[in-house]
Amino acid sequence: MTWRIGVDIGGTFTDVAVVDDTSGRIGAAKTLTTPRDFVTGVLEALGSAMRAYGIAPGEVGLLCHATTVVTNALLEGKGARVGLVATRGFRDVLELRRSSRGDLYDLFQDPPATLTPRRRRFEITERIGADGQIVTPLAETEIDGLVADLEAARVESIAVSLLFSFLNPAHEQSLGHRLRAAFPGIPVYLSSEVLPEIREFERTSTTAVCAYVGPILGSYLAKLEVATRQMGLPALYLMGSNGGVFETPEGVAMPAMAVESGPAAGVVGAALVARQTGKLDLLSFDMGGTTAKASLIRDGKYETTPEYEVGGGSNVTRFMNGAGHPIRVPVIDLAEVSAGGGSIAWVDRAGALRVGPKSAGAEPGPVCYGRGGTEPTVTDCNLMLGYLGRQSLLAGSMRLDHAAAEAAIGGQLAMPLGVDARTAAAAVIDVVNHAMAEALKIVSVQRGHDPRDFALAAFGGAGPLHATALAEELGIATVVCPPIPGAFSALGLVGTDLRRDYVRTVYATAATADPSVLEAAFRAMEAQGSDMLERAGVDAGRRRFDRSVDARYAGQSYELNVPVAGGAIDAAAIGGIAEAFHARHAQTYGHDNRAEPVQFVSLRLAAIGIIPPLTIRQHPAAAGTRSAKPSRQVWFRSTGTIAAQVHDRARLAEGAVVDGPAVVESLESTILIPPGWQARMDGDGFILMARTKQGAAQ
Amino acid sequence: MTSPTKIGRRQKDPAAFEIAKNALFKIAEEMRVILCKTAYSPILKSAGDFSCGVFDAEGAMVAQGIDLPIHLGSMPDAVRAIVSAFGSDVYDGDVFIHNDPYFGGSHLPDVNVIRPAFHDGLLLGYTCLRAHWPDVGSATPGSYGAVTEIYGEGLRLPPLRLVSKGVMNADLEKVILANVRTPAERRGDLAAQLAATLRGVQRLQELARRYGARDLVATMAEVMDYSERLMRVALLDLPDGEGTFEDFCDGDGIADDADGNDARFDVRMHIEKSGDRLVVDFAGSDPQVKGPMNAPLSVTASGVYCGLKMAVDPGSLIPPNSGCWRAISVEAPQASVVNAAFPAPVVYANHEMSHRVADMVMGALAAIWPDRVMACSQGTSAVVTFGGVDPRSATRYVSYETIKGGFGARPNKDGINTIASGISNTMNTPVEVLEMAFPLRVERYAVNPDSGGAGQFRGGCGAVRTWRMLPGADAVGSLCMERMTSPPFGLMGGQAGAAAVVTLTTPDGRSRKLPCKGAFQAPAGSVIDMITPGSGGFGVPARRAPAAIGRDLLDGYVTPDGATRDYGVENQDELLVLATTEED
Repeated sequence: MTWRIGVDIGGTFTDVAVVDDTSGRIGAAKTLTTPRDFVTGVLEALGSAMRAYGIAPGEVGLLCHATTVVTNALLEGKGARVGLVATRGFRDVLELRRSSRGDLYDLFQDPPATLTPRRRRFEITERIGADGQIVTPLAETEIDGLVADLEAARVESIAVSLLFSFLNPAHEQSLGHRLRAAFPGIPVYLSSEVLPEIREFERTSTTAVCAYVGPILGSYLAKLEVATRQMGLPALYLMGSNGGVFETPEGVAMPAMAVESGPAAGVVGAALVARQTGKLDLLSFDMGGTTAKASLIRDGKYETTPEYEVGGGSNVTRFMNGAGHPIRVPVIDLAEVSAGGGSIAWVDRAGALRVGPKSAGAEPGPVCYGRGGTEPTVTDCNLMLGYLGRQSLLAGSMRLDHAAAEAAIGGQLAMPLGVDARTAAAAVIDVVNHAMAEALKIVSVQRGHDPRDFALAAFGGAGPLHATALAEELGIATVVCPPIPGAFSALGLVGTDLRRDYVRTVYATAATADPSVLEAAFRAMEAQGSDMLERAGVDAGRRRFDRSVDARYAGQSYELNVPVAGGAIDAAAIGGIAEAFHARHAQTYGHDNRAEPVQFVSLRLAAIGIIPPLTIRQHPAAAGTRSAKPSRQVWFRSTGTIAAQVHDRARLAEGAVVDGPAVVESLESTILIPPGWQARMDGDGFILMARTKQGAAQ
Repeated sequence: MTSPTKIGRRQKDPAAFEIAKNALFKIAEEMRVILCKTAYSPILKSAGDFSCGVFDAEGAMVAQGIDLPIHLGSMPDAVRAIVSAFGSDVYDGDVFIHNDPYFGGSHLPDVNVIRPAFHDGLLLGYTCLRAHWPDVGSATPGSYGAVTEIYGEGLRLPPLRLVSKGVMNADLEKVILANVRTPAERRGDLAAQLAATLRGVQRLQELARRYGARDLVATMAEVMDYSERLMRVALLDLPDGEGTFEDFCDGDGIADDADGNDARFDVRMHIEKSGDRLVVDFAGSDPQVKGPMNAPLSVTASGVYCGLKMAVDPGSLIPPNSGCWRAISVEAPQASVVNAAFPAPVVYANHEMSHRVADMVMGALAAIWPDRVMACSQGTSAVVTFGGVDPRSATRYVSYETIKGGFGARPNKDGINTIASGISNTMNTPVEVLEMAFPLRVERYAVNPDSGGAGQFRGGCGAVRTWRMLPGADAVGSLCMERMTSPPFGLMGGQAGAAAVVTLTTPDGRSRKLPCKGAFQAPAGSVIDMITPGSGGFGVPARRAPAAIGRDLLDGYVTPDGATRDYGVENQDELLVLATTEED
């Protein structure tokens, strides 16, 4: 037997998912995350899963990991002491940023985050012009002084970002060569290696993020890999924000790729669901305690975006306006809202109901947890309405306090609103569902897709509870609840390919571009990708290179990514790219302009090492097993309070059909089936829900 | 005064209002994304100089996007101008355009595109996208010349129907494009404005289908009532009282004083807050000036609203719309610098006077709410334009940039260095993008030490930026700045921030300081050095924590000389050790 294992560190729990490669059988384990030393928690989780499923280290064929180490270091400001070297006159590029503030009216806002204080920002005399020609040669004589300054500043990591290095990296390369020689034990990141792309702030920010988190990620991975190798496990792969995995040395060379690796894994899992259930157009919806995330799968594939910002309290809906650190690497296109089970509901000074953005989190948590929470949350309202049962969580080992939830909702919401507690609770659920539906609309409607053409895949602890209401809101007919929803991201880790992205800025219009120049640039990136795959031991038959172009109308500033068909680039291929761009522009923005020249800005290459596809299976119970548990009272808008049959998910047999109103409970999550919906267990342990009547939910 | 409404209480379904309100604000956000991603000129796509809004059928603003505070007060007037010009002569598929400050505009470069939304024949309201075009004609590239009548400021578009029932008025479009310097770029920007307003209308129609048109219209009214109620409650919570503030502006770009220099002029403000109302009166401000430093009243009001919103609602809990301002009244003498009368020129005042007014609101409120105000910020948009022919492509170009200074010190923390403040939140243009697009080179862009006003809490530093015109690229430049002779004031004993300075060095080696406003010749090889204003400090410098001075020395925000001059520091080493130990 060969097993694949995925380990995903979350804020509270570290999840492990295991998959038997031949039968597709899956399993999961959960341990507490150990923030002081993540390695300990990961090893515990691995050990517990391997014991539970009787897996010997020699039977493990693939070990993949999603880590929060990078994101945490950025959010908590605990990265390395970075020395930044810039072109003379430009050392403040990280502080000057794009000069907009994060909040328009907040008198007391903090300055945007900078990764390295001014005392550790240095300059060197040199200049490349906008045509890539040298304006001022690199001042070699200044380098010794620069080395001395960096030494005196006791830097642990160095970022070099010179103007126009994306056009001509010569100065960065020769400076980098000298610095690497002078500081053999310190990582040196060059912007032309990390991100050869126009826009100095964004490129410098990406490079500085690498330098800031590189040492931490490096030592974490080194320690973890020593331990997993000692256990006899195979080489460790890391999940990237682009949805692919890569070997650990690649991660250390480009740490910015490892931001958001956990959420990316969830979307990869949703793509797996799409392929396996044949529902190739899918919206993925992942809801936990504090946030909900939405993403779009089309034709079985997710999309990535190069616009991402981490930290600085940035808000994902606040396009172009954040105060965090931009990272220009492909990140799975996700919309995230602060809405989760822990979101606090309140009544504002004008008497209107609001939900969030404050969250009770896991500590103190919702009122009904009885751990000191006093403000009513979304979870309290779910309990009040009967969607959650008193013994729904962790198989009844955690009892929920219904009376306390009702008292908090009554006193803090119903009274000031002048309604009864149940109406208040239902309103809270409506508001939070609407906020989450907006996230789903961002990835679908705003990108020119009609959500009615998609199915919804719901996971995360709270996802399946809210899924049908969101489906109603968006006109979606089918909802898929995959097995092990609580550890679903960990499962996504082992269902993807090796992947590394490369980019080159080109600047050419479709009319004037020289096909041979484009072809040469793609080939150069393919050579880099081949080297990476060679190092990872991927044989030629499993290698794939996906070419794409970032294009825009000459004059615009934002690009759309267009895939490039196979074969060498010739004039016809260029025409095809331009045509695809017009179509994409029309779909996304509602208009195109075929009279305008199409400009190619960046060429992108994804080097992919194909890992054989996976089929996952959680065997349903034997036919004839009784799944019914005692029924409970549940409130729906269409029916009022009504008795709903409760089922134990583990005891549902293949083909079992459950008509709403009903509830399906499992260890880690609860599925709500409203009146007018029907759920069916398939042979692989997926529960599919479909509408039987229009507009009936809740 | 309307009586406070009871939203939520009155509703059978408390969720309905919150959901519809959020959906309306999301429309404005989505319009923003469409404009940024499809516009052509850097000032829109990179710098973000535009605002999006959703309006009711009377032109009141229901939802403003997270764009620019400068348009808080004047956007509704822009839509009302269409309502009053066209009345019921408005149809599905129409689009209106105008930019005239005497018909609800702000200044000529801000072009409003306004589109009505119908559902089953019922007018739901409008979407409006106001975007700053980098050129609308006039004698100066960028349309920022110092002229003495609005006729000289560029192409004036009174409220006009650009698209009639889906059909573009091609003649009008030709007139517009014939009067601007970079017509191809303008066509792209206009297409982006049309696309964004259309997306907004489609979203509004979807809401009408979903909630019913009449309910949607009622909710739009409720959203404004809701903001009004929140504003009144917030005002009630704050102490009553009054405050005054007086400041002077550097000039209007016209050299007309006895010595042949640009004469300064005064702005006076009195604020009185009582209960849930607040009155701002500009009595005593100077009569309107010859040059374009005259603000239409709605522009003045935008500055007032921006300052008040920061002081009254620092947590941004009140959704910005017309309802917020029902509790506020703004009064200003006719034909004054804060209430322009036709045909006074206005182009500079749009941002320079509204910056000024927003900062003065803080100065006046310091008397009654000392813990809710900030010292003066940069107080200028620091606009610099260059125009000419790019020798690399032999095509005409116009570049428009705004360079940021300091954000004022607060009662409990330092100001912020080199970031947009007050009524502005535009972005800089990346140096690499600028140099690819225009025949110039940026030689320096950095934080300017010692420019933050000294205080217990230091003002934010300004920036320095240096441009060199490339060989063969003779350019006409223009400036529009304030705070060259009127440095940003400190509060509660804090000192003023450093004043702005701009120097032009021509290829013959001669240097001269440029006046704060107006055009200048910048032959190829010229170098322009700009120093943007720092911001004022808060509290007396003697009370500044020694470790904070040490940090500033270590990071070079304050030089050793500056520390001695401003803070009386004698032993710098001690402070440096303090700051170094603190970090380790």
